[in-house]
Amino acid sequence: MTTGLPVSTILLITGFGLALIGIWGMLTHRNIMRIIIGFAVMDTGLHLVMVATGYITGGTAPILDGALSKADAARRAIDPIPSALVVTAIVIGLSVTAVMLAYAIRLYAAKKTLSIDAFTESKW
Amino acid sequence: MVALLFHPLNIFLLGLGGGFLIPLLYRLGKPWLHAGFWLALAGIVAVSGVSWLGILQGGPTIEVLTAGAAPPLSINLRFGLQEGFFTFTVGLVSLLGALHLWDRLKGNYGALLLYLILVMGIDGMVMTRDLFNLFVFLEIVSIATYGLLGLERTPAAMAAAFKYIMATVIASTLFLLGTVLLYYVTGTLNIDALIEGRAEITGPIATTALLMVLACLILELKPFPANGWGLDVYETAPSGIASLVSVGVSAGVFFALWKLLPLFEGQLGIIAVSGGITFLFSNLIGLKQGKVQRLLGYSSISQMGLMMLALALLTKIGATASIPLVIGGLFVNHLLAKAGLFWLAGVLKQDDVDARTSLSGRPLLLGLLALFMVAIAGLPPFPGFWAKWELVMQLTSAGKLPWIAVILTGSLLEAAYMFNWFVRALRPSEERAGAGPDTVALLPVYGVALLLAGAGYLAARLSGAASLWIFAPLAVGIVLYALDRLPGRVKGVLMLIAVALTGTWLVESAVGIAWLFAVLLLAGSVVIAAASLYREDQRPGYYPMLAVLLISIPALLRSSTSLEFFFSWEIITLSSCFLIAKGRGAGPHVLTFLLFSLVSAFFLLAGFAGIAALSGTTSLTALVTSGPDATIAFVLLAIGFLIKAGAIGVHVWLPGAYTEADDDFTAMLSAVVSKVAIFGLLTGTYLAIRSEAALEIAHGMAWIGMLTTIVGALLALRQTDFKRLLAFSSMSQLGYIVTAIALMSHLGWVTALYLVANHMMVKGILFLAVAGIILRTGTRDFAGTGGLARAMPVTFILVVVALISMSGLPPLMGFGGKWLLLSAMTDKGWNFLAIAGLIATFLGFLYMIRLVAGLFFGARAAGQADVREVPLALIAPQVLLVVGILVLSFYPKLLMDPVSAAIDPQFAATLVWEGMSLYTIYGYWNPTPVMIGAVGAAAVLGVIAWLVYRSGVGRSGSLARFYAYYRMVIERAVPPVATEFWSGVTGFTLATAATFRQVYTGNGQTYALYVLVYFLALYLASTGPAGFWIAG
Amino acid sequence: MMRHVVIAIVVILFGLVFARMVGGYVELSALRPLAEQYVTLAPVELGTPNIITGILITYRGFDTLGEVAVLFMVAASVGLLLKKDDAPAKAKAASTKAIPAKASATKPVVPKTAAARAAAARTAAAKANAGARGSAQTAVAVTSAKVAESAEDDETAPREASEIVRTGTEVLLPLIFTFGAYVIVNGHLSAGGGFQGGAIVASGVMLMLLARPGSALNVAMLSIIESFAGVFYVGLGILGLVLAGGFLDPRFLPIGTFGAFISAGAIPLISALLGIKVGAELSVIIDRFRS
Repeated sequence: MTTGLPVSTILLITGFGLALIGIWGMLTHRNIMRIIIGFAVMDTGLHLVMVATGYITGGTAPILDGALSKADAARRAIDPIPSALVVTAIVIGLSVTAVMLAYAIRLYAAKKTLSIDAFTESKW
Repeated sequence: MVALLFHPLNIFLLGLGGGFLIPLLYRLGKPWLHAGFWLALAGIVAVSGVSWLGILQGGPTIEVLTAGAAPPLSINLRFGLQEGFFTFTVGLVSLLGALHLWDRLKGNYGALLLYLILVMGIDGMVMTRDLFNLFVFLEIVSIATYGLLGLERTPAAMAAAFKYIMATVIASTLFLLGTVLLYYVTGTLNIDALIEGRAEITGPIATTALLMVLACLILELKPFPANGWGLDVYETAPSGIASLVSVGVSAGVFFALWKLLPLFEGQLGIIAVSGGITFLFSNLIGLKQGKVQRLLGYSSISQMGLMMLALALLTKIGATASIPLVIGGLFVNHLLAKAGLFWLAGVLKQDDVDARTSLSGRPLLLGLLALFMVAIAGLPPFPGFWAKWELVMQLTSAGKLPWIAVILTGSLLEAAYMFNWFVRALRPSEERAGAGPDTVALLPVYGVALLLAGAGYLAARLSGAASLWIFAPLAVGIVLYALDRLPGRVKGVLMLIAVALTGTWLVESAVGIAWLFAVLLLAGSVVIAAASLYREDQRPGYYPMLAVLLISIPALLRSSTSLEFFFSWEIITLSSCFLIAKGRGAGPHVLTFLLFSLVSAFFLLAGFAGIAALSGTTSLTALVTSGPDATIAFVLLAIGFLIKAGAIGVHVWLPGAYTEADDDFTAMLSAVVSKVAIFGLLTGTYLAIRSEAALEIAHGMAWIGMLTTIVGALLALRQTDFKRLLAFSSMSQLGYIVTAIALMSHLGWVTALYLVANHMMVKGILFLAVAGIILRTGTRDFAGTGGLARAMPVTFILVVVALISMSGLPPLMGFGGKWLLLSAMTDKGWNFLAIAGLIATFLGFLYMIRLVAGLFFGARAAGQADVREVPLALIAPQVLLVVGILVLSFYPKLLMDPVSAAIDPQFAATLVWEGMSLYTIYGYWNPTPVMIGAVGAAAVLGVIAWLVYRSGVGRSGSLARFYAYYRMVIERAVPPVATEFWSGVTGFTLATAATFRQVYTGNGQTYALYVLVYFLALYLASTGPAGFWIAG
Repeated sequence: MMRHVVIAIVVILFGLVFARMVGGYVELSALRPLAEQYVTLAPVELGTPNIITGILITYRGFDTLGEVAVLFMVAASVGLLLKKDDAPAKAKAASTKAIPAKASATKPVVPKTAAARAAAARTAAAKANAGARGSAQTAVAVTSAKVAESAEDDETAPREASEIVRTGTEVLLPLIFTFGAYVIVNGHLSAGGGFQGGAIVASGVMLMLLARPGSALNVAMLSIIESFAGVFYVGLGILGLVLAGGFLDPRFLPIGTFGAFISAGAIPLISALLGIKVGAELSVIIDRFRS
């Protein structure tokens, strides 16, 4: 931690990178399952980004115990809000994934294929 | 206690508590389940309603705090006037929507809880003041939608839902990331705090974060072209769910955009452009759509685009005072009308616009359909009308003219495809769809229809135009409609009484020329309307609508502001449109009539807006007082009125509408309704008199009038259908009046008014006479008539009198008027016009002779030996009109004095009419020489024509053959340029629509790509290319 | 090919947008006023050593309630979507019994992740909060991936789980449930909380279902529990409104000694309800995917 990029920047880059991979996967793969996985990867990457933005240089988890006293908290704790938001975001991401998977099952039942190109009934 | 019971927080307690309880209630039994659901849903609506009422009565905005801590620390919500309006109206509609969906919802506890929480989620989106909480509510709404979309199990619906999920997940991910990054930049999530610290939100992260939030909201509103996923869902979802997505979910998202708008001050232009593109292209592509729900989808999306555009532009020009009326009006209009249409489509189980099931046998359903369409098209008396008026006024005064073009073009396209559906529903069909939908299924539809009417009244009050008299026509119409089960003739008499009484009351308040027109038209309309008694059938809906039309005319004439004028104008347009639609073969012509009427109305709207922007008032007196800058406004108004007057080039709507309307109603259209446009043109011309370009404009208008006369006469000569011949004759005669107005002198205007009176009576007689002949002979073709003079002597005499007056032969009323016009033109140095007038006179004689000869002379057509005189009910009004002609012929002072008095304030000149002669300040003027000259010229031309005809080999001396020959010549010499032009325009528009809709490939992955690209495009538009560079 | 080029351009452009943000990113060196307020106020006002739990359950409790509603709706939606209404769906349901063989590979992942996260919780608690449930998400994805895959090759006959899986389950299951319960009830004191613990419990349920494909989950019971937990949650919120400062204010119970097990007002209670609700909901969702 003496030289180079700050840790949160590294996390930020990783998260964005993951999100890009997710976008690429979601747009290039024809299989609906893989598309859903693409979404999940993108989500995960962005969650990482969100957590990273709450980091304070040299900070620690905002949980008071022997290692972090009340008096110290304001100086050493990281911003708790992004962490709290990410908890909610993950639950919502999970929810959306579950619904998409349920739809995938229905779609497969309907056409016996999972290729997204097969589901273009309505257009124009 | 009451305040506590109806505290807005209870919306969430009911929504979530009710939602969580629903599985438990399900175990207890279905009655419990259903009672719990309705209780919770009605509770939510009641809470928002009572709270809103409290605020309306001057109560304070309610701040809802949570967690016992102050806002930036904890989440807070706000319930103010706007929040109350959105939550309550959406709540009402969702309550009715649940009723509509009940077949699918009942017993299905999963669906019930999703529905309940969805409604709560929309309210949450509206009320919350915390950015992340907004995201949570957005997700609640989205997931509830995803779940409810699963109610329809067809593969297409499943696929559409999946596409919808893909797109909205991308959008909400953008929102989430934007929100968290905004927190990183500002250290707060409170919307008020963010708005307060807007100035500090700068730098690459902050700009991108803001744009992500904005992009999500715009994307959720389904902008073109990144909206295929939304359309697919509209098409395939159950109608109740589709309507909820269209009006409920969109409402929540739109309100969020409104709430966050102060953050996007720099992006207002982008929002407006995005909304404008969506509005225009959705409506364009909608033209090619045949599936009802998808059609409604296009309309839904376009309405959201319009609201986005309006919101952004009004904010940009600082007209925030107008936002409640414009946004509120557009929103509630869309909410109620679109929900009604979706449900109606669902109740009728009509998938396709072209479906064989026709509504022609079900007036009530047809009425509902018409009501919603009228509302969607932004026509009065519904809220969309008042909102659009205000929007156009504000944009004009801010000089945003291209935007007005976008709004009006889009509106026209939307009206085109919506009314296309209506016209197809009108089409008589052989097979009557079995038993109609039961009343219960229609209850929600009635509900929104009533709400819509109420909302229209409220919007009128907000516009400051709600007065008893302006709604009088509609009120009378509603009362008569309630009596619609009475026998036809009883209704007819009631209608006549109502029109006479209400009309007289309205006429009293009119002044000047308007008063003259009002008296003249009211008298004429009552006389001609009396002819409708000749039919003894029920004519459902005809009499109420006719009353609306006829009372609206005096209402228009007594208007003192352009808003009132425009309101009555639109009501006249609409009621005549629906009356034309009663004709059996009117179908396709109704649409043409309506579209041209709308184009005309839009020109008027733009013109009035232009004047209001110049003079700062909507008072009609501004027409007289505004200065020389008003040229453009005048040109707009003149185009608008000329379209309705059937001027050359834009006359294509006229023959079809006139010919296919009911026979007695055509008389009304030609004699009375067409004069409203003439009145408009006359008042509009005041503007031009003051304008610098007055002379050139006047000259141009005179030519338009004269060409209309000539072409109308030529087209009349081409017809074999005598009703159609009269239709073109009407067009031709109106051309004369236009020319007279264009003279812009005292003399010209007196002539114009004189011709108006003459034409009203003449055409009334002719069309009624023709109605009788059609009644007796059953044909409209010259081939099926002839030699009727002996069988119908009274009709024959009446027609001859009318024709003499129309042609301008002495001693009747037409004499004078026409010749005065010719000599006035030479006075002004418009010699070519005068020559054209001579040719027109000649052509007029030709078709008039044709009419008399074809109907009354020659051999009787086969099988018509026992044809009798027409019924008295038709004869009597004609006789009255002839009496009118005679009176005015021999006592012209009766008309001329008031006319002179009314016109004098504008032109300092005096004019005295004594019998055959006219005294002007120029001296004594006698029309006889001009008449003799003109008639002589016409005779010479006639002889030449005859000789040319006889020069060919084997041409006999028969008059019928003579006309047949010239019909052929005219057909060859005068190609139907106008018709071809307009069908070319239609074809081009449809082709463009077909091209643009290729973007909708139906592939969910492609749609996801569009959504991402849309964000990039927004980003690029906002930051410029520098946004893609790290150093930037 | 053309399509891939377009997609590549889009991804690159997004990369540039992201890169620009990374370029503008500066790691914060101190808490902003609002965050500082949370960090100093939460322990004093609410008595929660775990500030994130304090925020989640109190200050942003409205979000959390919404989040619970989202999960609840997903359970309902998935139920609505996967309701057996036709023959093919049943046939497919039968073929899903084929999961176990492949499941053995995924089995250790769940507890291991959870355990690893728990161990690392001290230093990166914020991320751990997220991680445990992230694993649940992956787990769901894995199950349904299997569902779809196994549905694709219908020849595979249903197979019982292997000896190792079954024995491993017997050993691990009590551990997982205990650990889940621990995470739930200690949410106000250390890393964890209702959501995290609920996810751990649900992962245990999933393991159980994988090991005994034939076993039936009492979904009716679970959904009743789920509903009651939800109703009680709202009820506690109303108690806060009536007895304390506002809706979802947990301070209507005494704050107690800072750091004690029974402390921090109603937060542990809400945490427990959340844990029960999330555990039940996720289990129901997993079960619905199975059938």
